[in-house]
Amino acid sequence: MAEEGIDVLVVAGNPWRSDYLRFAADITPVEGHAFALIEREGPARIIVEHPAEAARLRSEQAELDVRWSLSAIEETETAIRELGRRRIAIAPLAAAPYRLAMGPLVATIAPATALLDRLMLRKSPSEIAAFRRAAVLADEGYAVFLKAARVGRPEYALVAEVEAFFRSRGCPENFQILGSGGREVRGMHPPGERRIAAGDLVTTELTPCVDGYYAQICRTLVLGEPSEAHERAFSVYNEALEAGIAAVRPGATAGDVARAQNEVFRRHGLGDYVTSEYTRVRGHGLGLYVDARPALLEDVALKLEPDMTLIVHPNTYHPEVGYFVHGDSVRVTADGCEVLTKTPRRLFSAPLT
Amino acid sequence: MRRGLISWSRDEVPPSVLDRRVARFQEKIRAEKLDAVLVYTSFARPSAVAWLTHFVPYWNEALLVVQPSGAPVLLAAFSKRVHDWIRSVSHLGDVRSAPDLGRAAVNLLEERLPKPSSIGILELDALPWSVAEPIANSRYGGGLVDATGLFASIRQPADEVEIRLARRAAAIAVQAFKAIPTGAKRASELLSALERSARLGGAEEVLPRIAPDLRAGTTLCRLEGDALLGERYAVELSVAYKATWVRITRCVSTQAVPPSWRAAADRFVETAGRLNEANLSLEPQVAGSARPGKTAAWTLETCRGSPPLSIVATGEAPSPSALPGGSLACLSLQLELDDGPWLGGEPLILGSRGQPSRLLI
Repeated sequence: MAEEGIDVLVVAGNPWRSDYLRFAADITPVEGHAFALIEREGPARIIVEHPAEAARLRSEQAELDVRWSLSAIEETETAIRELGRRRIAIAPLAAAPYRLAMGPLVATIAPATALLDRLMLRKSPSEIAAFRRAAVLADEGYAVFLKAARVGRPEYALVAEVEAFFRSRGCPENFQILGSGGREVRGMHPPGERRIAAGDLVTTELTPCVDGYYAQICRTLVLGEPSEAHERAFSVYNEALEAGIAAVRPGATAGDVARAQNEVFRRHGLGDYVTSEYTRVRGHGLGLYVDARPALLEDVALKLEPDMTLIVHPNTYHPEVGYFVHGDSVRVTADGCEVLTKTPRRLFSAPLT
Repeated sequence: MRRGLISWSRDEVPPSVLDRRVARFQEKIRAEKLDAVLVYTSFARPSAVAWLTHFVPYWNEALLVVQPSGAPVLLAAFSKRVHDWIRSVSHLGDVRSAPDLGRAAVNLLEERLPKPSSIGILELDALPWSVAEPIANSRYGGGLVDATGLFASIRQPADEVEIRLARRAAAIAVQAFKAIPTGAKRASELLSALERSARLGGAEEVLPRIAPDLRAGTTLCRLEGDALLGERYAVELSVAYKATWVRITRCVSTQAVPPSWRAAADRFVETAGRLNEANLSLEPQVAGSARPGKTAAWTLETCRGSPPLSIVATGEAPSPSALPGGSLACLSLQLELDDGPWLGGEPLILGSRGQPSRLLI
């Protein structure tokens, strides 16, 4: 803040975008808007929308000045006005409300999203430690998922088992989507009522959160014995994942990592399936947000630096077997990367009985 | 992130019910002479769009465009591959891919409203900066109107379909409370049991908060890690089923249930019954009431915009806002009893003027 000439930083958040608030004030809103007014020195002031949220945050950090208001946005605007002529900045673009970012105070508030984005890219040792713990939990969670995947169970029951496991380990949050079926499956989604059947490919992207930090694992399993087509597909995705991980090193761009994965698909005549028609990204940053910067796409020029944390996942549709996922969480090191998820890279098979 | 069951049963929520809700909204839009209303949704603020279309984003965000007539259009910042899923769980005229929601909204408005127009936005003040900026800087920026009151005016009372969904959500929560292991020593044990039960019961989402030892404090915490459970603890469980949220709070004693708690529960029922559209206050107590304890805190919450639940009245703020009889609401109450604190919470249907409220379960 001192380098940027900012006296007071206003950080907004909500349960969907809690990452900037967690980074700046170590709070995680559960319901409603939350705002932190952070001075260069001294404790932050927090404004939330619910008395229960205020009480909870006070109990988590006694030194915080927490108040609540049914009109938290107006209350924050008033607090900003009372700061007078001090240099004020606001973040992030994704969560700051219209009234604060573009309302009557617009001429007096500077944007600060880029500042926080830069700070959040490279992780500190304590952040890396949390990420490591999350990666361990991701591996354990996948083992639970694998055990839960049995013929006849609805998709949502698989997630229920994983969630119960995560809560038993003190993990409050997880991002998880899945897919089940065959060639007709084009992606993943939240769990539905479909009952998984013999011969299904069951995909999942499982992302537990430990001390605010998300780590992810992506694997695919077959209900029953994998077919030759399944095995052929797996070998392509595994080769692509290994190529992507091999490309992760300081100085390489996010685009390089995406390209390394996509080239494998192109070599196997599957180049059409690494376009936006069939897939979104070839991985992305991980941290306090589950889909953090940078996106691993061929046109992203952001250079990797040590202690960035990523998931590398060549997830996409395969014309012979359907949507297929395979990915690991990594930390960029001084000369490459460290793979933190340890679940074996293989095509898993769940028994039919 | 939402990771419970998201699906659409046409038997539970018939398309005709969603059509009727949209039609009522459009009537108001026409009455206010608006050319379109934009309704933002994310998993943090899903409820307005879900009520109109049954769509709940599991993550990411979207913008529903409702014009005075015709089916709503969803601008979705999701990958196009997810559109089939979106269509399978919601009732929409069209779904369009919109990585930049604000820009996509401007493009759609330009396509449909070439002349100067008045555009309503639900909770305009709260619209995320990234979405608001392209709209505010477009030629529609001068005609933006806050449509929060307009939407709230039709959102409650709850229809029969919503009440049935709320009953199911409450039943899921009650079942989850029954799943708490008798001898649970740690919060992680009970949270695990609650989640498993609720999600296997079909919950779309579960938000548990816990006061792990009522003798140490009554603050309902979101635990990261674990905590030892005291002899008496409280659990607040907010459960969503098909986008309908209820909040239920229960105290648990590892010993025999204290007699004071039974009296407190009776007082809760009596207190809830006194609420109606003309009386959204808990005080004063009924003269001569023999019920024990002193009210330490309370809130009455409902859904009337994009947040799943927001406060209508609370002991910590002087003036309640209006809520019509027949509204679905959740009352949470904390009492100070002679032998310690007690917390309770239940969903209810608010009574009309002069009529008592009815607890949902």
